[in-house]
Amino acid sequence: MKSVSMKGFVMKWQRSVVGMLIVVAGLCVLGAGGAAASDDEAWIKYRQKVMSSIGSDMGGIADILKNGLPLIPNIEHHARSIAANALAIEPAFEHRVVAGATDAKPEIWQKREEWRADIEKLRRAADQLAAAAAGNDAAQIGPSVKALGKTCGGCHESFRKPKEESYKNR
Amino acid sequence: MRSTSRPAPRAPTRDPRARTSRGRRLAALLVSALLGGAGASAVAPGAGHAAGGDVERGRAVFAAAGGCTCHTDLPGEGEDAPWLAGGRALSTPFGTFYSTNITPDPDTGLGVQSEADFVRAMREGLAPDGSNYFPVFPYTSFTRMSTRDLRDLYAYLQTVPPVRRQNRPHDVGPPFSWRWAVSPWKWLHLEAGPYQPDPERDEAWNRGAYLVNGPAHCGECHTPRALSGGLDEALRFAGSADGPEGELAPNITPHRATGIGDWSVADMRWYLETGFKPDGDDTQGLMAELIEHGFSQLSNADREAIAVYLHSLPPIDNQPRGAAASGR
Repeated sequence: MKSVSMKGFVMKWQRSVVGMLIVVAGLCVLGAGGAAASDDEAWIKYRQKVMSSIGSDMGGIADILKNGLPLIPNIEHHARSIAANALAIEPAFEHRVVAGATDAKPEIWQKREEWRADIEKLRRAADQLAAAAAGNDAAQIGPSVKALGKTCGGCHESFRKPKEESYKNR
Repeated sequence: MRSTSRPAPRAPTRDPRARTSRGRRLAALLVSALLGGAGASAVAPGAGHAAGGDVERGRAVFAAAGGCTCHTDLPGEGEDAPWLAGGRALSTPFGTFYSTNITPDPDTGLGVQSEADFVRAMREGLAPDGSNYFPVFPYTSFTRMSTRDLRDLYAYLQTVPPVRRQNRPHDVGPPFSWRWAVSPWKWLHLEAGPYQPDPERDEAWNRGAYLVNGPAHCGECHTPRALSGGLDEALRFAGSADGPEGELAPNITPHRATGIGDWSVADMRWYLETGFKPDGDDTQGLMAELIEHGFSQLSNADREAIAVYLHSLPPIDNQPRGAAASGR
């Protein structure tokens, strides 16, 4: 009788250890998932800051031109800032995150070379605008701004969700 | 049947009189339907007037109409799409319509239409044989255009390269495929006649009202539609989740949080010239096409007039949500 109850005790003990291990493993998975989710969010927030910086510089250039502010030399600074931020785009999108509060399309990771080429176009167009602004070349500033703008739109068309699918309009 | 002139553009209204008038129209429609009336009006085909419009002015009118890009299949065939030769799929809640060939090709395009035919199409939504055009062709706005602008636009369209391409049949089922059924729809939603300036307002405002409600046909996309497919006038310009091709068209009333209330006149002028919003973001979709092929070629004065008019509208708090997000 005693040996039977001892065996029963061992079995119970084994079961509870296995049970605890399962619970611990489950918690680890959940924890890792949670960490990954908050990590994803951090990546999204960071890359949105990089893109917003470029948008702010574009907006600044536009403000100077459309309101006739006497700040043409500042266009060079904004253009250089865009060229610098263009270098930050690729590392910012190294981690693939397409779920959550983001408008990044999976194509960024599927058509990597095409996407890289678009970023390079942005960087070059920003450099050209910086040169036109540095030379105070009024005849070149307008077309250079337009050319730079086209690189934004060209890349967004392929790699950013349209407004009807945007997380902002859910 | 009805007078073809009207006093003022349809402004956003919550005027109870407007509702009453709409109610009366609906009642009249039901009565006429019961009596078996309200069929297509039988009008003789165009009289074939000689074209007398000004091509250069017509080019500017064409720009004000956003370059008529719905007639070029840019989404389907890319930048090589035959210009203005139609065939573009316009998906609507009623089915998919295909835009028509408006190049001057004599067999498949506008070449078969006289100037009078063209003016009647734009003003009354009627084909040369007297049948109705479907309202996916926004004659509800084009009817506000001046006869001079319509004649000049016709003259300009006669100069674009002719392309031989048959119009593609629409992919729409009954009852939306019945052209006669458009007559009662027009009775409810079309008040034909050119824009009448408001003497209380200045020139810029009137010019903006003309452009927005006439050639630029902004309200056709930026206003949600009622079940009948007519514009929901209480939400005029307040944005629509069901724009053409499934696009979301934002609120363009001067509401600060949901519309363009925080855009200056310079912001608007710049936007219509370049497609760049005040926050530095760009524009995609149909609006980007309208800007590139149309509004960017308008004069600054016209772009500012549009801003002046839009800023004068009552601000409406409305945030259209993406169709995909709402599970449709």
